[in-house]
Amino acid sequence: MTMDMKQLWKRYGPLAIILLVVIVITAWRYALNPQTTTAVLASTLRQSTPLVLGALCGLLGERSGVINIGIEGQMLLAAFIGFLTSVWTGNLLLAVLAGVGVGALLGLLLAFMSVTLKMDQIIGGTVINILAFGLTGYFYQAGLTTQGKLRPIPLGALADIPLIGPVLFNNPPITYVTLLLVVIIHYVLFYTRWGLRTRAVGEHPRAADTVGINVYLVRYTNVVLGGAIAGLAGAYLTLEAVGSFERAMTNGRGFVALAVMIFGKWTPFGAWGAALLFGLATAIQTQLQFAGELAIPHQFIGMLPYVLTIVVLAGFVGRARPPAAIGQPYETE
Amino acid sequence: MTTEQENLEQTTASSVGMALLRVWRGVSVPITAVLLAVVIGAIILLVSGASPVAAYSALIKGSFGDGDAVARTLEKATPLVLSGLAVAFAFKAGLFNIGAQGQLLFGAIIAAALGFGIEGLPAIIHIPLALFGGALAGALYGAIPGALKTYTGAHEVITTIMLNFVAINITDFLANGPWKDTSPGNIVARTPKIAPSAVIPEIGNVPLGFVLAVLAAVITWWLLWHTTLGYEIRTVGLNPHAAEYAGIRVAWITILTMMLSGLLAGMGGAIETQGVVGRYQPGFNVGLGFDGITIALLGKTHPFGVIPAALLVGAMKAGASQMQFDAGVANEITDVIQALILFFVAADLIVRWILRMRETDEEKITLSTGWGKQ
Amino acid sequence: MKKRTALLTTFLLLLALLLVACGGGGEEPAANEGSTTTTEETTNEEATNEEATNEETTTEETGEADCASEEVFCVGLVTDVGEIDDKSFNQSAWEGVKRAEAELGAKIDFIETKDAKDYATNIGLFADNGYDVIVTVGFALGEATAEAAAAHPDIFFIGVDQFQAWPFDDDASNDLPNLAGLIFPEDKAGFLAGALAGMMTESNTIAAVLGTDLVPPVVAFKEGYEAGARFVNPDINIISTYHPGGLDVAFTDPEWGASTAKQAIDQGADVVFGAGGKTGNGAIIEVANHEGVYCIGVDTDQWETVPEAHPCLISSAMKLITPGVFDLISAAKDGNFPAGNFVGEVGLAPFHDFDSVIPQEVKDRLNEIDTGLRDGSIETGYNPGG
Repeated sequence: MTMDMKQLWKRYGPLAIILLVVIVITAWRYALNPQTTTAVLASTLRQSTPLVLGALCGLLGERSGVINIGIEGQMLLAAFIGFLTSVWTGNLLLAVLAGVGVGALLGLLLAFMSVTLKMDQIIGGTVINILAFGLTGYFYQAGLTTQGKLRPIPLGALADIPLIGPVLFNNPPITYVTLLLVVIIHYVLFYTRWGLRTRAVGEHPRAADTVGINVYLVRYTNVVLGGAIAGLAGAYLTLEAVGSFERAMTNGRGFVALAVMIFGKWTPFGAWGAALLFGLATAIQTQLQFAGELAIPHQFIGMLPYVLTIVVLAGFVGRARPPAAIGQPYETE
Repeated sequence: MTTEQENLEQTTASSVGMALLRVWRGVSVPITAVLLAVVIGAIILLVSGASPVAAYSALIKGSFGDGDAVARTLEKATPLVLSGLAVAFAFKAGLFNIGAQGQLLFGAIIAAALGFGIEGLPAIIHIPLALFGGALAGALYGAIPGALKTYTGAHEVITTIMLNFVAINITDFLANGPWKDTSPGNIVARTPKIAPSAVIPEIGNVPLGFVLAVLAAVITWWLLWHTTLGYEIRTVGLNPHAAEYAGIRVAWITILTMMLSGLLAGMGGAIETQGVVGRYQPGFNVGLGFDGITIALLGKTHPFGVIPAALLVGAMKAGASQMQFDAGVANEITDVIQALILFFVAADLIVRWILRMRETDEEKITLSTGWGKQ
Repeated sequence: MKKRTALLTTFLLLLALLLVACGGGGEEPAANEGSTTTTEETTNEEATNEEATNEETTTEETGEADCASEEVFCVGLVTDVGEIDDKSFNQSAWEGVKRAEAELGAKIDFIETKDAKDYATNIGLFADNGYDVIVTVGFALGEATAEAAAAHPDIFFIGVDQFQAWPFDDDASNDLPNLAGLIFPEDKAGFLAGALAGMMTESNTIAAVLGTDLVPPVVAFKEGYEAGARFVNPDINIISTYHPGGLDVAFTDPEWGASTAKQAIDQGADVVFGAGGKTGNGAIIEVANHEGVYCIGVDTDQWETVPEAHPCLISSAMKLITPGVFDLISAAKDGNFPAGNFVGEVGLAPFHDFDSVIPQEVKDRLNEIDTGLRDGSIETGYNPGG
């Protein structure tokens, strides 16, 4: 019994402390200034959305043994195609689907490179990154505009709850989908047959193969699904967050998502927590500049999210164990 | 290569022929990869209504057309060689250094500070002083993720990505704050110009910086394959547990590798400052560290592979303006071509199938094994 | 072999898909109006290995031949890192060059800079091809422009946003009679925008979402904006923020702009000033989705360049780059080039659809402030370099 407690504490202790601190500070800030607190928390959720989606993309692939450092490229090209579809058809749903489709297609390309061609997976991802950067830059045209982006949908009475309502229940659709995806992927990964197979393939493909699991199929499916989710992140950028496309607008978010995935120890909830932490730090650095009272140059405030990530990672999270068979192409015998 | 073939070759070909054959085997895949990428690039140009012939000939003119063009290509290749080496070197120890960008920025700004802050030194002392100062700054910045990994287990992929952002903020602050150029009328965020004695010169059309970069590649190669340290680094890269068991101090090797990797990147930044820009100015060193990843992969993480890879990409960067001017083609097409080259170099299965060549095992690269190692 | 054939087919199929997916979007992306296409090179079969010498002659025939001659007036433009269609200063300058094409019959062309280290190379391409006037856009090109001006005394250089220090020293050897810096008192435009915001706000909180303070004009806009708002409304609450990233991302991060604008609106801001290229554009597009909140654009009349912002855009803090560039080009053509610093016009853009929304007394007050700023009776308090 004490052993269990000890293990529980070891596993969730730091998390609980962080959570407690955040809750206390939030409550305190809320008592002082409800409007600002709401604004910061809502911003936290927004900033974290593309990171969570990117991290989910990464972890689906990696759980099955395929590294995906091409998240940035998948997001960028999907953002671009989603935007073009919106310009041409004026249909936002279609545009989101187009973004998701392109993401899946790039996932297919990555799976083809890493599973079928057995190319080094880091190269595969890098190819996607450069390709997406080049293609979007080359084919982007000036003067394309869309009218409108995805609008927030208040969830009835839930949206009227103070603090929680405006932060959680008055969001545009992709943000809701993201929250759902975290739960769904957690469930699928740890409580379904498919998840078991995925993890088996990621840990010990040879053994998985022996018991009749099709390693290639599992990897292909996961990487393509991951691509689709990265595509959704791209669609989020152009169709929900901004409403327009700019070259290289992902600005490294795909790489931060990668960091968020590892930070979250390859679990959906972990990634979500890590992304929220990062989003919160970003929102707070903006708020500190808004307040304008600090005499420090804004570059030092701007470092906050990155330094905080390193500190938390080094101080609380530490070593994380990735799936054992990660990065290795599988050869059937 | 099968034994039958070997026998056949031994009987039919002279030793010169053998050597040629070996060279051909070495270069045929990359050359074919480049050609394939160029052809697909041409298709994209055609689809978008541009003339591939005009575009490519302008690209070549801009990168090799005359002495200045060659100098420009070498100049562009220099930081790519060094950041490519930085990434490749870390790969050898199973570490993925995405932080070459940040290390390079530190190298660039420290070299600038030593360049403008000290006056009256002879060039023979001032140039190496600023260069090694910059390289050392990169090394120290690279040591941080190494130490964090060793002592806290923080994954270097996360820490290097984060430290890149931090580096941008710190260098921006320095260039717009304490080290800002205060010459009359200047409102631009940049450091003062470095003293003439710190400027790395050109010898004819060859920037001295490029020579230094090639030298760095040779030293890296020697270190990796002809010293005990290199052996230990490679052993750690292959299997850290076995290395630990064999008595290699994995923790120390991890930190040292990241330091040396940062040293190379920092040197790249210093040469940019001393040989090209002449000062540190925010926005002038964008993306060079990230290009290092491409270069390292393109060069198959071998120090001598990095040089041609950097020259190829450097040439495309050098010729891009000419291509825009002569053919009206947007620069980004060179990124597409780069991606395709990388694809075909890595996907040698496809290229070998086209060349009807058999696969040899020794050329296969697997870097991603380092990803999960702790 | 069969497996490999299948592989290759799959790959080609994928590639075709990618091409189709993107192909529809492109119509000669960097269509240079002024450039002439090279002809008949197809005779050379090994195009990619073509000798440089061979190609040089082709260019001379098409590009250089006319620009080098006395009769043909050629104007080239080099952008800052960024695109010609940035809906901001590169684009405005290019519009000025295009006006020179229409009204002065100039042959025009541009080069988009991708790497800051290529400024000199890109200017050199125009200089070596006999262009008569070269426009360089952005303060970052100042050094490269001055060096090129010294090396090519027969070519006129116009540096947008490039303050020239040499007119103020006593050393005549530094003088560059062929170089004019087109500069703008952005703080005054910002002051007007701030005054407008200060009078239009009902919540008494206004916001500014900015690029980076590494770029002096952005700082000028910010300081002017805050001073202007306080001038009309001393108790106003101003929340403003710079992008936390470096130069390479600060102006191309619309998502951050949008999210930050929303964060400001969520805490009560009802006028948002977006000054930071595409980052600022992201901010004002976000504002357009919030009823009852106004936004103010920057650099050009963004009513024309960012139609997505129509629901909120009451005005823009404008730098009249287009007429400034055009005036300098025509001065160069007529032989009365004003070397040194040439101060361009700034002001507020028209109110467009909000003309009826903005009360007459606000308009009167703005006119009053505008006059005051011009005659010096009102000062913005912003003093760069000081």
